[in-house]
Amino acid sequence: MKPEFTPDEIIATCISRRLRDGDIVVQGLSTPLTLAGYILAKCTHAPNLVLASAVGMAVTLDWKPLSLVRDEAMWLDRPLRRMNFPSICREILPTLEPREFLRPAQVDPRGHFNNVCIGDWHRPRLRLPGCGGIADITPIYRRVELYVPRHDARVFVPAVDFVSGVGHIPDRPRDWYLVSDLATFDLHEGQVRLVSLHPGVSLDDVRARTGFPLRVASPLSETPPPTAEELRLLREEIDPLGIRKLETVGGAARAQLLKEIIHREMQSQRRDSRPYTTTQ
Amino acid sequence: MMDKTCSLAQAIRAIAPGSLLAIGGLMLHRRPMAAVREIIRARIGDLTLLGATLGLDADLLVGAGLARRVRTCYFGLEAFGLAPMFTRAASAGTLELVEETETSIACGLRATLARVGFVASPAWLGTDFLRVRPDVRTVADPYTGETCVAFPAIAPDAALIHALEADPMGNAILGGNLAVDWELSLAARTVIVTAERIVPRLSAEADLLGQRVTHVVAAPNGAAPTSCHPLYPLDAQAILAYVEACASDRFQEYLSAWLQT
Repeated sequence: MKPEFTPDEIIATCISRRLRDGDIVVQGLSTPLTLAGYILAKCTHAPNLVLASAVGMAVTLDWKPLSLVRDEAMWLDRPLRRMNFPSICREILPTLEPREFLRPAQVDPRGHFNNVCIGDWHRPRLRLPGCGGIADITPIYRRVELYVPRHDARVFVPAVDFVSGVGHIPDRPRDWYLVSDLATFDLHEGQVRLVSLHPGVSLDDVRARTGFPLRVASPLSETPPPTAEELRLLREEIDPLGIRKLETVGGAARAQLLKEIIHREMQSQRRDSRPYTTTQ
Repeated sequence: MMDKTCSLAQAIRAIAPGSLLAIGGLMLHRRPMAAVREIIRARIGDLTLLGATLGLDADLLVGAGLARRVRTCYFGLEAFGLAPMFTRAASAGTLELVEETETSIACGLRATLARVGFVASPAWLGTDFLRVRPDVRTVADPYTGETCVAFPAIAPDAALIHALEADPMGNAILGGNLAVDWELSLAARTVIVTAERIVPRLSAEADLLGQRVTHVVAAPNGAAPTSCHPLYPLDAQAILAYVEACASDRFQEYLSAWLQT
């Protein structure tokens, strides 16, 4: 029987499988799903994965289960090296080009993306939190890797309202990758192209929820689903509180889930009893 | 003067209305919340807020009507979602936004430290940031001819930094999560360090040197409800209460209650 899985689980699995042993990866702002994927890689095929925090706390080899209340502890209590924010962004990022999975609010057919505002910048319909360092790294990195937890025509738009992440650059080959809750994509001849459908998803589903005409790879493949062991690791070892799921829901459902997670964490952790795991 | 200790109210008087005010810490970690509360009590307004990231700290200042402009690369509440008062003001156009990214802030502060007008980087090329920051210019690398962005120096008028431990000179321990506080402590004209405790001699290596620190204030629990690792974690219930108050249009009520604490 095929294991049942949720959108966060297939995305975390796709992120994990993209990584190679020995890579250095960065967790960005407010992206627990990527951290779940990184740790999954560390627990499976990439035990020597090096974890870095974009907000500059530290570089570390060891991990703890995801936490909402004590997320700093994993980075700070047993770091390989302490870093500050300017050192990470001015020294580590331009030299090592760490792998980082970025979550765009909008992405367009050229692979450009936006985390700044919806609508005109001068009078936005919605101001977003901002792009962190995405505009700093995407002009120079060879790789651009994105994830979209809720595939929607409001995310996949004909033209982004503000380019804060650079996709296609003429005459520069780039390894551009996107995984959504429906499918995976690359950039082919400068255009976003559908590469694989997640199990149970049809081409029509993806087309209906994409706001621009889609190029489709031939042959179109099926994304390999998470294995039973990957699901067990995610659910029981890496993120038993389900913090990664905050990225796949919105509105009232998200507010409710947040409340439940906080409640669960407060119940289970009057003190920080989470053990470190060394996979190296 | 070797002993810079004073009350929070005294320290805050050094911040003039209209200042470029840098807020130390990062995300929901080690933010100078006690100092922010004192600024709101003193109603020091017309501020430009600068932070590597801004969050609950700056959202309260925006909601209290004391911020004219913000400069940051991320303004939000992490897992707790959008910063409600910022999102409202920025979407309504009542708050001026100076777009920054990690690199523009890091380069800007490091330019000030190096006493030059800019630090160059290939960041922003091909994005829309240069379009909305016409004050930021590109230059040709004098050695390679490549175009790069000349990120202008940032010199805050004042900086607020919360520490775990400080001595009367302003040498301080930050507890691992260093943020941009080292750079702020050297770049700002007025540097206010609040600390969980003030001791004659630090118990471990200093993360900040006191030379440019102007005020040292005892502020136990001064980062709450943000975290002060490893002394206390973030108070998730309190941050949730803030988000819920704003969602039901009770910001002023929340603020009045918070100012009493």
